[in-house]
Amino acid sequence: MRRVAIMKYPGTNCENETLYAVRNVSKLDGKVVWHPDFKAREWDAVVLPGGFSYGDYGRAGLIASWSKASRELLNAFDYGLPILGICNGFQVLSELGILPGNLLYNASAKFIAKWVNVKFHNPRGPWLSLISDGEVLPMPIAHAEGRYYIDDVEPIIGEPWAEYLENPNGSIQSIAGVSRKGGVALGIMPHPERATFPWQSLKYTTGGRRIFESIGESLRRGW
Amino acid sequence: MPLTSFEIGYAQEALGRRLTREELVLLEAEWSEHCSYKSTREELKRLKTEAPLVIVGPGRDAGAIKLFDDVAIIARIESHNHPSALDPYNGAATGVGGIVRDVISLGAKPVLLADALYMGSGRTRHSRWLSKNIIRGISDYGNRLGIPTATGLAWFSEAYEKQPLINVACVGIAKPEGILPGSVKPGDPIIMLGNTTGRDGFLGSSFASKPLDESDVAAIQVGNPFIEKLIIEALTEAFDKKLLSLVKDLGGGGLGTAIVETAAQNDVGVVIHLDRVHLREPDLEPFEIIASESQERMIVVPRNEGALGELFSIFDKYGLEYSVIGYFSKERKVKMLFRGLPVVDLPVGLAVSPPKTPREVLGREPCNKEAPMLRNIDLKEAVVKVLSSPRVSLKAVIYEQYDWGVGGRTSLPPGYGDSAVIWLMDNTKRGFAVAVRGNPGYTRLDPFVGAAISFAEAYRRVASVGAEPLAALDNINSGNPEKPEQHYYTLRMIEGIAHASQALNLPVIGGNVSLYNEDESGSMIDPVASVLVIGRIEDVTKALTTIPIGDSPLVLAGDTKTELGGSEVQRVLLGRGYGRPPEFKPIEEKRLGIFAKEVSEKGIANAAHSVSLGGVVATAFKMAYKGGVGVTIESTAICDCDPVEALFSESQARILYEVKREKLQDFLSLAKAFDIKAGVIGNTLKDERLFRLTHRSNKIMELGFEDVSEALEGLENLG
Repeated sequence: MRRVAIMKYPGTNCENETLYAVRNVSKLDGKVVWHPDFKAREWDAVVLPGGFSYGDYGRAGLIASWSKASRELLNAFDYGLPILGICNGFQVLSELGILPGNLLYNASAKFIAKWVNVKFHNPRGPWLSLISDGEVLPMPIAHAEGRYYIDDVEPIIGEPWAEYLENPNGSIQSIAGVSRKGGVALGIMPHPERATFPWQSLKYTTGGRRIFESIGESLRRGW
Repeated sequence: MPLTSFEIGYAQEALGRRLTREELVLLEAEWSEHCSYKSTREELKRLKTEAPLVIVGPGRDAGAIKLFDDVAIIARIESHNHPSALDPYNGAATGVGGIVRDVISLGAKPVLLADALYMGSGRTRHSRWLSKNIIRGISDYGNRLGIPTATGLAWFSEAYEKQPLINVACVGIAKPEGILPGSVKPGDPIIMLGNTTGRDGFLGSSFASKPLDESDVAAIQVGNPFIEKLIIEALTEAFDKKLLSLVKDLGGGGLGTAIVETAAQNDVGVVIHLDRVHLREPDLEPFEIIASESQERMIVVPRNEGALGELFSIFDKYGLEYSVIGYFSKERKVKMLFRGLPVVDLPVGLAVSPPKTPREVLGREPCNKEAPMLRNIDLKEAVVKVLSSPRVSLKAVIYEQYDWGVGGRTSLPPGYGDSAVIWLMDNTKRGFAVAVRGNPGYTRLDPFVGAAISFAEAYRRVASVGAEPLAALDNINSGNPEKPEQHYYTLRMIEGIAHASQALNLPVIGGNVSLYNEDESGSMIDPVASVLVIGRIEDVTKALTTIPIGDSPLVLAGDTKTELGGSEVQRVLLGRGYGRPPEFKPIEEKRLGIFAKEVSEKGIANAAHSVSLGGVVATAFKMAYKGGVGVTIESTAICDCDPVEALFSESQARILYEVKREKLQDFLSLAKAFDIKAGVIGNTLKDERLFRLTHRSNKIMELGFEDVSEALEGLENLG
């Protein structure tokens, strides 16, 4: 069975539910890996889950990006290992330079936890292979530093990317997620692992499930 | 509050010598109201605390019940009122920190936070500053721990303008056999884990045991959620490897109190080397080390000596500081040394037994004026005023700052259900429900009935989603026990909780009493009892939300009487509550609870909402607004009385249902079988987004969504 590492830094919060989704929806062999022990070559994909790595001191994701795991991640990105950053994981990947742009404090200057509708553009690559272009998937967000900013959005919207239908945090171009290498490395602020089973959402559909199904299919059949 | 000369004399006589400075500090903390419950200990014995499901009752850091044969629930509630009045951000944040440590002390994984906040009117700058920072404190601390704050209550009133009440609760899960015994034996080493000990929070428990004084700001603890998160992670790993026999939070009273309580519970003595404690400032005096309430510190005792090495390597992995500070001994004495010299040498028995403090109680019921009649009022104005009351209006501005979904277990988030429903995420659909309630409007008028109603409302909110209530926790917030007219409220609230726990047959597995909530002029806040109820749900997918889907009958289950005493409509129209609160109806509540569970299991309703503040009209309009559907209600179907009384009555033991149209007969027959009064009182609409009220089929009021959106979402200005 293909193996997925769930990276854990001090302060990571969402590793258990991410692992649960990888095992039960992607049907892959997942394991939580303590960051200094992460060896990219041992894995078929890696997820950086949400949380407050190192208490988000300085800037969200900053200190985690100094971890020993970062060299492994940069190297893995070079050779094309599928990498997904969710929320704090996205912040780490953006600090590392694997994903472009920056995540700033929300325009409201508050933590925001609510359901949002996320529209996926040009979906392809291992994490989005089962999603169709323009498909809208509801998922919750939960962050204080999620206002995406970049000087030039043109290169972003040429790749697979995600857009909030109603901008909750002031992100430029309502950007909720960005990717590189055709979606092989993806970062999104919303939490797909919290929208994977119907009883996690009741009124809402299981918007996040498609991402976990995609990576399962992709690792078994290619993308 | 410092020891009285009587208490000092009592201790010195027992010892036959003068107390050292360190002993004075230790006893001041240990004998404080906060730690010893000296004013309420006797009364609290009247609570029902036993039931077959109870694994750990009141007395330890948290209580525990068996949820399923293979799952235990561990829970605790505590107030952080005094610190939050002076430093709302840190006060509220460290309240969260403390309650979480209490729950992990039993070997649990914390999975839910709940808060009951009683805050100022929002009309003064000071009260807005307090509430904003209280909410931010809970948000910053709870979110960083990765524990969802998924239910709670927010009350606003001038009574809390300068002195808010912050009650926070934490619920954890564990395997029943994984609950730590909490026992130690002579020779066991004592490890202090976590944050350094500094000067913050010095004698905080003593400060919480007297009226407020702004010069006490040094007694407030400052929190560091990142360290707490690492402690949770490290201890979870240690629990999995069965390395520990005892974990205890250093909470109110600090190291001294934690050590003394552990020794007393285990019938052993203890020897502590204070100079081994890792410090923030190197020049801390021994008495400061004893009483510091620096946060994120715990005492841990390994299961056996062989566990030490593995334990230390786990702490090292997470970069946590720790020190071995002493050991438990055979001789039943508390001995503390500093650089080899004894500074404390007290019999354990003396340290935990303050001399009896006689409290006087003014034994008469408060005389409540009867209310002026509320008839022939402008109904539209009354409805808009009730909906725009911050106590009634929507609370999204608060709970959207809380990470209610972290953990992936939240099946019913705040704002969508009468209680939080948490899925166990264990390859089943099992879960539990939690609700917390408190109504100072009622307890001010009648502390006994008011406290019982808090209990009933939390009970009903757990039942209405479809869960079976199993256990409760209570938090009493009241005035100065040295003043008989204030202490009356404290004791009557405890009696109300005791009565409700017996009548509803639900054990109370833990609680907290916060006294001295009075301002510098000596006037008391509105006293209130927060009650949290935990229930079991076999299948979280069957939990009922409060969100209607439209075009379906609205059915009110339960009997409506003309009970406007202490109601929201009185407060918004007359400026305060009058008369008596509604009747507490335990037999009806129990019957309604079992009925509600059947309704959810049979799947015959779309939505359910317990009727409380603002009566049927506020309950129905809020449901409809959130569902984006209109609603029409006939007042005589609620109660054949004056429309104001029918619409705004806060009679207890009622749930408003949106019933599936094709299941209406099934629903009504089921209600009949349970001998519950139930009738169709109106309909939800599909295309019209409006609220309509009729009386004998004549339209008496109509409002569009746009007329009330400002009212319902008015809290935006506060947060």
